[in-house]
Order: sequence, then structure tokens, then C-alpha cells
Amino acid sequence: MFAGCAVLSVACSTSDYLDVNTNPNAPQSVSPNLYLAPMIHWMVTAPQYDGRFVGHYTQEWVSTSSNFSPAQTWGRMGYDPASDNGAEQWRDVYWSLGQNLVDMMTKAKAEQRWDLLGVGLVLKAWGWQALTDLHGEIIVKEAIDQSKFSFDYDTQQYAYFEIDSLLNAAIVQLQRSDGAVDPGYLAVGDKMYNGDRTKWLKLAYGMLALNHNHYSNKSTYNPADVISLVDKSFTSNADDALLPYPGTSPDNADFNFWGPRRDNITRYRQTQFVVNLMNGTDFGVVDPRMSRMLAPSPDGQYRGLDPNVLGFGALSASQQPDNFYGYPGTTGAGLPSRYIFSDKSKIPLMTYSQLQFIKAEAAYRLGDKATALNAYTNGIASHIDFVNARNSDDNQAVTQISSAEKTAFLASPQIIPAAGALTLTQIMSQKYIAQFGWGHNELWMDMRRYHYTDIDPASGKQVFPGFTPPTNLYADNGGQVVQRIRPRYNSEYVWNRAGLDAIGGLALNYHTKPMWITQP
Amino acid sequence: MVWLSVHQNPVHVVMKARVLMVLMGTVLIAAPAFAQQKTVTGKVTDEQGAPLSGVSVVIKGTNRGTSTNGVGFYSLRAATGDVLRYRYLGTLPVERTVGAEDVMNVQLTRTATSLNSVVVTALGQTAVQRSIGTSQQTVSGASVAQTQRENFVNALQGRVAGVNVTSSSGVPGASSSITIRGISSISSSNQPLMILDGLPMDNKTLNTGVLASDAPGSATAFSNRGVDFTNRAADINPEDIESITVLKGPEAAALYGIDAANGAIVITTKRGRVGGGLEYSNSFRIEHTGARPEIQRVYGPSAVGSTTFLYFGAPYADTAKLYDNVDGFFRTALTQKHNLSFSGATPDSKISYRLSTGVTRQQGVIPGADYNRTNLSGASTGQVTSWLNADLSMIYAYDTNDQSFKGDNGPLLGLLVWPSTDNAKDFLTPAGTRRRLTNLSAASEVDNPYFSVAKNTNKSRNNRLITNLGLTVTPFSWGNIHTILGTDGYTNQNQIVRDPQSALGLTRGGILDRADDITRNLNAQTLLNINSHAFTKSLSISGLLGNAISDEKSTVDALTGQGFLDPNFVSINNTTLKSNLTTITQRRLVSGFGQAVIDYKNYLYVTVQGRNDWTSTIPVARNSFFYPSITSSFVFTDAFPSLRRFMTGKLRAAIAEVGRDALPYSYRPSLENKTTSYGGYGYGFTGPNLGLKPEFAKSRELGTELSFLNDRLGIDATVYRKQTKDQIVQNIRGSYATGFILFNLNGADTRNTGLELTVRAAPVRRTDFSWDVLANFDHERGVTLALPHALPESYVSDTWLYGNVRSGTEPGLSTLSLTGLFYLRDTVPGRHAILIDPSSGLPLRSSVFIDRGYDRQPDYTVGLTNSFRYKRLSLDFLLDFRKGGDVFDATQHYLTTRGLTPATLDRNKPIIIPGVLRDGKENTANPTINNIVIVPAAQTAYYTNMSEEQFIQKNINWVRLRDITLSYVLPERFARNASVFVTGTDLFLITNYTGLDPIVNGNDAAVGGAGGVGIDYGNFPVPRGVNFGVRLGF
Repeated sequence: MFAGCAVLSVACSTSDYLDVNTNPNAPQSVSPNLYLAPMIHWMVTAPQYDGRFVGHYTQEWVSTSSNFSPAQTWGRMGYDPASDNGAEQWRDVYWSLGQNLVDMMTKAKAEQRWDLLGVGLVLKAWGWQALTDLHGEIIVKEAIDQSKFSFDYDTQQYAYFEIDSLLNAAIVQLQRSDGAVDPGYLAVGDKMYNGDRTKWLKLAYGMLALNHNHYSNKSTYNPADVISLVDKSFTSNADDALLPYPGTSPDNADFNFWGPRRDNITRYRQTQFVVNLMNGTDFGVVDPRMSRMLAPSPDGQYRGLDPNVLGFGALSASQQPDNFYGYPGTTGAGLPSRYIFSDKSKIPLMTYSQLQFIKAEAAYRLGDKATALNAYTNGIASHIDFVNARNSDDNQAVTQISSAEKTAFLASPQIIPAAGALTLTQIMSQKYIAQFGWGHNELWMDMRRYHYTDIDPASGKQVFPGFTPPTNLYADNGGQVVQRIRPRYNSEYVWNRAGLDAIGGLALNYHTKPMWITQP
Repeated sequence: MVWLSVHQNPVHVVMKARVLMVLMGTVLIAAPAFAQQKTVTGKVTDEQGAPLSGVSVVIKGTNRGTSTNGVGFYSLRAATGDVLRYRYLGTLPVERTVGAEDVMNVQLTRTATSLNSVVVTALGQTAVQRSIGTSQQTVSGASVAQTQRENFVNALQGRVAGVNVTSSSGVPGASSSITIRGISSISSSNQPLMILDGLPMDNKTLNTGVLASDAPGSATAFSNRGVDFTNRAADINPEDIESITVLKGPEAAALYGIDAANGAIVITTKRGRVGGGLEYSNSFRIEHTGARPEIQRVYGPSAVGSTTFLYFGAPYADTAKLYDNVDGFFRTALTQKHNLSFSGATPDSKISYRLSTGVTRQQGVIPGADYNRTNLSGASTGQVTSWLNADLSMIYAYDTNDQSFKGDNGPLLGLLVWPSTDNAKDFLTPAGTRRRLTNLSAASEVDNPYFSVAKNTNKSRNNRLITNLGLTVTPFSWGNIHTILGTDGYTNQNQIVRDPQSALGLTRGGILDRADDITRNLNAQTLLNINSHAFTKSLSISGLLGNAISDEKSTVDALTGQGFLDPNFVSINNTTLKSNLTTITQRRLVSGFGQAVIDYKNYLYVTVQGRNDWTSTIPVARNSFFYPSITSSFVFTDAFPSLRRFMTGKLRAAIAEVGRDALPYSYRPSLENKTTSYGGYGYGFTGPNLGLKPEFAKSRELGTELSFLNDRLGIDATVYRKQTKDQIVQNIRGSYATGFILFNLNGADTRNTGLELTVRAAPVRRTDFSWDVLANFDHERGVTLALPHALPESYVSDTWLYGNVRSGTEPGLSTLSLTGLFYLRDTVPGRHAILIDPSSGLPLRSSVFIDRGYDRQPDYTVGLTNSFRYKRLSLDFLLDFRKGGDVFDATQHYLTTRGLTPATLDRNKPIIIPGVLRDGKENTANPTINNIVIVPAAQTAYYTNMSEEQFIQKNINWVRLRDITLSYVLPERFARNASVFVTGTDLFLITNYTGLDPIVNGNDAAVGGAGGVGIDYGNFPVPRGVNFGVRLGF
């Protein structure tokens, strides 16, 4: 009984007896730089998740896995009903960044960490850019509000202006060196640039250039502005925004998404379209990058699959292309792989090469062919270096492209023509190669800007030579090619139908509705 | 009561505590003085004259008393004029006034269910049945133990109206979920509070969310599927249970408060009695698997080597050697149990003791699946002084459990799809690794079942000690103070191996999980009982005030490792990639409560109760909440004695409210240590809800208890209606634009209604032959009325375990409904024909989860117990009937998509699927009727893309013999009390269900809401068993 009294008095005379509801398993708030690493991870990695499906639209690859998804849905420019496939970036922008980004920026501002605040603004801008380019209308103004349970969509035009203003704000912050700006502090969460704000500043300019270049179908398109932004941006491959994958976590979360350990594209194969860009079919010269980026068949030939044919079609076993790791069938964890498809290969968010092609396109449209050719040549040369770098990130066994091979390739007039003879087909095809496998968002935007099959008036060839949409389009498409991905199913089609209805998102063929940015 | 109802702040708890301390202080000072007294002795016997031991003999209006010894004698000091009250569970109480005589012999009448029998109620109180205004039912420990179930929870099905027990599978140690009066909570636990000897007992089933490999975002998560763990109530040895009382609704359980919103199961363990002696019993069981899956053996695999075992190939050649891979997989399981107890008491019953030990060694019919339990328990009581009684009970349990995997990863599916052309028993290569048949990626080839049970293991070990110390102080003549202090602590160690060679483990080089759950729950409860006080001759009042404090804490330390260095050595030290996860969960609860019982002429009783809880899991501003209840009982046959010639009867009415809190850490989000590149922190899935408030259930019930023919026929009927408002829905989704994925929100509204009917009859009652019948009828229905923020659907994500069917509910639907990507149908009223794709001739399916009227709730269930006694022979059996309720046979769907069910044998017969073409005219009066002929064998999408809807079997009925026991009492020359028995368990099942067994749970008992009940996927059915053994008393 005394024990009972003791329990009672100790328990009850302490008014904080009940104060045990602070979660002991995890903090509720941390230093702002600790929020950063996961957000950078997703900024680079989430586009790869969705790239499995976008890559079917752009015909980078096709899955041989089954009669169903993704070959029979995405491969036919459709989608997976009642599935969150193709909406990883939706998840990561709203959730992985989401409130974390709000908290980080609030704290960074309060602590006068202008560099971290600038990085936050870049992340925020990236989010809207990625989402609006995939989905068109998105939720911007009302986003990140836990008191709301239905959300209105904003127009793509609004999203584009918001990205512009966010990047300009980021540029202001990233130029500051006062306050508590501290590369060492920033580097705790930033393994992409190790806390170097000047590189983030270049990235902000690069993202602005990309944003402005998407206006190519509009009367307001300003190519000179795009060129000037690219010039303030990356100056060499050393500026590339690359995320390394340490590969130490048992849940595989910090392994390269494409690597054999993650086993995501074991049954994917390159398309004939991609192979033709590099095997001389389209440009008359065998690209030295082909054997370092693509996979041969067991007979040593490079072949691609036809998205209109299920599986390997009539190809014999020795003719069936190997997977991207370089093996005929399955593979196991830890086997050496190639290019960006290895467990620890770095994945870029944006590259110098990519920006040079943006500059080349802008200069070409401006009529400045000499600038265009120079940027175009830089783009190819730097991408060859990029391929070599990616083929050594994970101690792969792939032979490097020798400088002789590189020189010979760049000396080929079919590849590097005279300035006056440069075509959009060449610029966009080389940009496609440089973005193959990782730059799905921009790659698909390029194809939609040229309506997949636009003809380059100068060359008379398609801008993307030989590209043909699937002959048997997905049933819901109503015969139209895909223009956007439907917003995330388990976020919007189940829980925000009113918001979707207002933008026509409930229509069965919503994914074929052209976007504002690609229209005049 | 008075002060309880007005205070809503913990500060007042302090005050109340002080009140109690003062009261307790007076205990120590008050030196009881007694008047002129003499010693009264006597013998208490039953109707047949047999002595009754343990009968309580108390001087009415006081707490002074004793109990009878082993030969029925008692001795007590009392004064002339005192009224002695003789009470014994299950008999009519008797009162005698002390007169001139010194010897008072008393005969008690057994009356298991009559209005005057003494029963246990909430808080361990006893009361006369007539005074109780709510529905409750008691099952004796003996009848539970007699079923020979290792997990006593499984013995309750059919024995109590309104109780529903679902075992996860037929594997030893499988978790069992128990619900009373249906499913009211959409996402939280619907299981009742378990009370052991007056204090809460933990009945947790380990949630796989604590495993390090289940960390958020993990691709290796079990999500409460695939593996199962014992529900912890199974730690109690059924042989130690004296009785189990089920308090069904919030009305009956209101005094237990917050955790008893779903009712309470009150377990009383055995105590020593005079003349107890030594008892030994044993039991040996032989079990066989009851049902065997049926697969076609006509058509062979499509292409062994490159497909996931699809059977759309050519017919087997007549000469093909086919192996019966199922044969020899199941084993004959042997189980043995031994129980030994010693008990006794001093002749004056001032000191009693009971020590017992039990050993259970259970084998499963699946090789390698075992459950072993060792129990040691002791209970002693002592009358320390005339005013102080102490009671100490301790229960120690050690159990080990090896289970196979189930569902997707379990051996049953492998057993079914393994090619008959291959001998599955030969599962290793000469090099000792997994022998594979395909060149698919390792994860795509189902594990050979023999390999699976040998290599993928789920082992757990549990050490548990429950101690309760009860002190009863009787300082005054008008009442007593009863304090119980209890600890319930266990260490539960789990080890799960996904073998490096297995489908689940291969790409990661094996996955090992370890999780140690250290749980310690502390409880203290103090009651001030105020004895009945008569205001007038016909009106009296009694009451109690109480206080309870609980502190529940669980710390799970989990480790996971991948990449086994030595593929056959199981240790975390043998893995290369490791990570860990600590999950601490703590809740504290302080409560004050009170009760007053007004008794008018012993036939009208009104009981008023109130309770206030202060919980740690709700934001401080709203963490204190009060709720009242009022119940009444009216014995109308005493009020109108003229009726008594025909019957005795009572009416009951009760209305109660009960509040309920949230899970710990529900309202404020915390950050997770992310495992993506270079770590860092980020929010988890669940967003904040600082406005979280408690939910309230308001319940009312009406009932009657009638008996006829001199108590040979009795009826107990109850109707109830419970509405839960502001229900907290865990993990409900919203638009990701909130910044989060899941929320814990108030705002669901559910309503449960039902009818419970218990009929008991004694058709024959002769000296050497008797026949008793007990029938429990239960009809219940739970409906979702609203969801938070008018969201369209709420579902339990762990139940989305096969295809696209899940436990989802929408406003207007049953709480046990299933939603899915069902077939699209036209919108013409009365037609609703399936829409057919004009290009393929196959049905079209919805792309959103929709309702098609599937409901797992049975129309009714009946448990029918028959007991026959003929001289020394007795026969008891329980038949369990169920009518209605849907069951999803996912196993059958899985087999059909692979062309393995006998139903796929007519694959070459051209068919036209009835329906209308989706050609734009489908919703008109003149749609195009489908006329597209398909040949399933050629168009295998007919099977492979078949909707799961085809496999939700509607209106499943069953009759099953749950248990049957034949026992024979040996003549006394062998032992003082000896009997032999044979018990059969689950001997037969008659059902319209075409799967193996409709009692299924696709998940385990850890899953909240309606859970995976009625989802049958790769589950092993309950085996048939025959037990035999002896009981001996010396």
C-alpha cells in the first residue's frame, strides 16, 4: 500500500507526468543543412524513377518484361491506370521537398545563411520545372498547406513565371557572401557541389536558360537571352551537377537507380531509334559512344528493339540485345556494368554538354550559325568526356574512348559540318544522345517542342530522324500522341478529384492534351 | 463521482490523489473494534450434499468474513443478530441470521445463469446477476481449457454471443484477432481490452513496422503480410484460467474507460483453496491438415524456364512422369501438454496458495512450424490482519515459435504452382544451393515449397512475467480500499531469415532481421468500495470511487543485415550491409472514476458511472475528457410476483459514452533519418494535426433475461446501437499538395448495430443423465457514415496484399467492405452489364477503387454448445454456424491466372463473355450485346487479366465442429479426482466456400480497422486434431 501511495503521489503530483508524447525516436526539428541531402538526392534521382516510363515515350528503351506495363501501356504512349507509376517527381516535389524545403528555407533565412537559402530557391524552382514539364497544370499557389484538403491547379504559364522569379531570387542570394554564408556548413548536406555556392549560382543560370529555351514555339521566345544565360552558367564538365551514390545502405536507397543492384531495368532494352542515332544509319558515322553507352547482342552487333513488337520479336537468342549492364539475361548485385547504369555511377541533374546544346539551338534559331556550331561541337566533345567519366565512376571494365577516336569523330564532316550546313536535326539528335538515359524530362520536352515528328526545314529530315510514334496507341488516347503525364493517381485521382475536374484532368484522354508551353 | 464530473484538469488528479491518500492514511490509524462476539462454525454443501470449498462467508454490511475449507467447513466470529452472507460463483447467494446456535450448515444451489447468481463485473467486482444493467457473458476456464487450444482466445469463438475470433492461419502460434460487436474503428484496433486479475494485460501482435527492413520507403517491407507473430494473450496457460467474463459494449466496460471502447475480456486466474492438493493433467494430440488444394494435372506448363509457371501449355503426355508434390509435404503433427499444480489453504482460509506449471510442445502440420510454451505461475493470498488482505499472483511464460512464411512468400503458393513434372522434394543442387527451374530473375521464380520451409524462417522467443499485487484494507464497517499494483513485462525476440538463395533474398544476398521488443507496462489501480447503505427499508445505495494510472512502454531494437558472407550461417555478424531502427512507444494514462448503485427493493437497480481520463497522446488542451454512463436493471417478475409462476425475468437498459485517445506521437510529425545518398533528415509520411481530439462512442443497449420452467429454459436478448463520432482515422490520405501523404484526422463516423441472443436449455436433468444446450446467436452490422474532410474512401493499406482488392470503406458502406478495380458496368438501372472491350472481347476494369457491394460481415453467426452427462461420462461439443459474408479467395485467383485451377480445364471451349460493348452505346437502351467469341486457351489474357471480383465468393456459410470432448470420470479408487478424455478440434467443416477454409486473415492481428479478415491468400487452413489425455487429482 505504501508503494501504491508512492506511485500515486509521484505520478499525480507531477503535472508533467503525461508529458511523454515527444517522439523519442526522431527529432522534430534539425539544423537547416541536415534537410538538404535527401532533397538533392531526390532532385537528381526522382527523374530517373519516372524516366522508366518517360523513356518509353521518348523511345530510349522498351521493356521486354511482359504483355502489360510498361511495354503495353507507356510503350503505346499510354499510362498505368490506378497506379503511381510516372509520378515519382510529384511525390518528391510535394513530399520529399515539401515541408522540409519550407522549414530549411525559413531557418536559413533566420540564420542569414544566404547560400543555403539560395540553394533552397533552386530546389524549389527545379520542383515546379520538373512537374509542370511532366504534368502541365500543377498546384503551386496552394501547395504545402496542411489545413487544406482540396487544391486548385495553377496554369502552366503561372508555373513558368514562378520558376523564373524563384531562379532570379536564387541568383540574388547565391551572389551574397555576407551573413552566415559558409561553404563548410553547406557542404554537410551538399555533396553535389560540396558547398560551393558559385557552382549553385551557375546551376541557377543554367536552369533559367533551360526554362527560357522552352518558349521556342512562342512569339516571346528570346534566343539571345538564352545564350547569355548559358554563358553565365557552366563553363566546363567540372561544373556538371552530378550526384554520387555511396552505395552503403541495405535498403539500396543510396545506390544508383539504374544499377544492377536496384534491378529496375534488367529487362529493358535499347530501341532501334537510339541505335540508329549512333550506328551510322542517321549520320553516316559510327559514334564511338555507342559501344560505351549501349549494349551489344551476344553476336557482337548493336541492335535495338521495335516498340511495336512485343518482347524480342523474331530475334534469335544471339541477336537479342543484352541489357544495359551488358548481360543477356538476368544479373545479380555487384556485377560490373557500364555508363550511368552501374551501382555507383554518378547521375547528373544538368550538364555542361546539355547547356551547350541549348545554346546551340538558341543561336541556330537566332541565325548565329557560327555560335551555334561552336556550342554544338562543345556539346559533343564534352559529352564524350562525360561518357568516359561515367564509365570510370564505379571502376567499370568498359574501355575509355581514346582521344584518337574522339578526334576522328569530331573531324567527320557528317558530324561537325561547316557552320552554314549545321541542321536542327544534328543539334537535337546530339542533344538526345547527350541526355540519353538520364535527362528524360528535358529530352521529352525537346520532342514535344518539335511535336515528335517535326521536319527540320533546312535538312528536310525529321528533327528526330526516324522517330515514329507507336502504331497501336493506347486505347484511351483516341489516336493522339502523349503530351503530358496524368497527375499522381494516389494523390489526385483519388483525393483531389474536384481540383482535377476543374482542369479537365478526369478526361480519359487528358494525357494527350497539349501543354501551354509547346503551343504558339 | 461528484468531484469527478466537474474537473477536467490534471491538477485535480493531484487533489483526488490527496483525497485517496487521506483515506488510506485513515486506514492505518483506524483500529477496528468489534462488539461481543462468538464463534460460528458450519459446513457448506451443494444440492447433492457434496462439500463446497472456497465459499465466501461474510457478515453482511461489513467486510469481515472467511471462506470454507476443502471439506466445506468454515469458522467465523460473529455476533448474534449479524447476517451471514454465503456467496459462491455460480450459485444462489444465501443469507442467514446468527441466532442462538453455534453451528450453521448451509446448502447452496447451483444456478449457472439465474438472476441470483454471483458474477464478476468490471474492475474485478462481483455482483448479483439481477443488478446488472448490461450484457455480459462468462465462460469457465475449464470449458476453455477443455478445447485444448494453445491460444485460449481461439476457444472463445461461438461460446459468447457477439465475440468474433479470427485466427491468421493454421500455423502454430498464428495470431488471433478478437472483436466484440463488430468493427467500429476504420483504422485503429478493434480488439477489446484484456484484463488479467484486475489490471490490463498486453495482447500485442508485433507489427512489422518495427523491423529495420520495414523502414519507410523500404523495398523489403513485410507490411504485416507474409509473416505472422503470436498475439501475446496466448502466453497465458488456459489451465490457469478460472473464468473469462466478456463485457461486451462500452456500457459494461465503461469503468475500464478509454481502452475498453471495444469491450473488455476479464480473465480471473485460479487461486488456491482448502483441500486443493496436487493436480496433473496431460494431453496428446495428432493433427492432419484438413483440406488440400486442388489443381489440374491435364495441361502442362507453357514454357518451363522462361515463365513464372504458367500452365497454358500442351497437355501432359500420357507417358509423362508426374510427381505429387503436395503429397508428403504436410506432416502428421504431434502435440503434447503437461500441467501440474499444487494448491491449498490453511483451514481458516486465511492463507492460500496455488503453484502451477505447464509445458506445451506443439508441432504444426507444416514442417518446421512449432510452438512451445512453458508456464510457471504462483498465486497466494493472505489475511495479514483482520483488516488487511494481500494477494500476489505471478505468471511467467516462456515461449518459442517457429513459423513458415505465408501469402506471397509462403510455401503454399509454391506448393501449388510447382510443376508436376518436377520432383519438388529435391530442392537443392548437388552443390547445396537452391535448385531452380527457370532462367527468370531469382525474385520472379517462386520458391520451391520444401526449400521455403527449410530456409526462410521466422523464429521468435518470448520471456514474460506478469505480477499483480493486490491489497484489500478494511478500516471501516462501511467499505474497503482495494489497491492493485501490477507489472506486465516481456522481452520478445524475433529473427526472420530470407535466405540468400530464396526469391526474396537473392538479389540482396539474403536478408536477416532481428527485432527485440522490450515491453514493460505498469499499472496501479485503487478503489474505495462503499458498502450498501440502506436509506429506507426499500432503498439502498452502494458505490465506489477509483483511480487508475498506467504507463505502457515498448522499446524495439531492430537490426537488419544483407549480404550473407557464409550463405548458411545465420547471424547479423555474417552480413555485410547493416542498418538499425529503434522504435520507442510510450503512453501514460491517468484516470478517475466512480460508480453509484441504487437498489430499490432488490428488483430495480440504477447504476450511474462516470470516468475521466487524462492521456498523454492528445494535445494538452483536449487531453482530459469525461464520459458518463447510466444503466438500469428491472426484475419485473419480482415487481409483479404474480408472473413468477410462469417465469423469472429482468429488463435491462443502458446508455454509455466512452472516449478514446490516439496512438502515441500522432499529432506532431517528426523527422526520419533518411537512407538516401548522404543521409540527412526529412519528414515521414504523416503530417501534423495539432487539433487532434479524442473520439467518442455513444452506445445504448436494451436487453432482457428471461427464464422459464424452473430455470430449465433461459433467454438473454440484447439489441445495441453504438455510434462513434469524431473517430480518429490513422493514415488517411490526402492530396500530396499538403506536403504530406498521410494524416491522422478526426472526423469519421461509424455506427454499429446488432442483436445478440443467448438461449440455454436443460432438456434433460436427471440424477444420472443431463443434457444442456447453449446457443449464442449474433447479428451485427457496422456502417461507415462519414469520413474526415468528406474524403471518398479510407482503406487499410496493409490489406492491399493481393491484386487490386483491399479493405476499403466509403460512407454508406459496411466497415467490412472490400473495394477494388472491379469490372466497369453500364449505368442503366437494373441492367448494369459488364462493359466489354470491342477490340479484345474481354471485360474492362475500373481504374479507380470502387464499391460493388462486397461485404465480409456475416448475416449472423450461431455457436451451439451441447453438454451431455451420463453418470461418469460426459460429452460436450461446440458447433459453429455462420450465414453470409463474403470471402475473397485470392489463392484461387492466383492459380487461375496461371491456368492451374480445374476451372481452367475448359480452356479450349469458345465463349462469349456476357456483357455489352463499350462502343458509345453502352449506356443506352439498345447497347451492342457482346458477340465476340474468345478461346481462353489462345487468348490467355482471359485468365491472366481476370478481375479479382470473380473470386470474391458471396454469402459464405459454414457449419463447423469447433471442438468435441468426451470424458469419463474414473472411480475414486484410482485417484481423488481422475478422468480421461478425448477431444477433437476442427473435425469437420461444411461450407459453400470453394477455397480451403473461409476463416482467414490475409494479414495478422496487428493490422487495424477491419484488417485482412476474409482475404484468403496463400493461407494454411486450420488442421484437424484429436487429443487424448488424463486429469488426475491427489
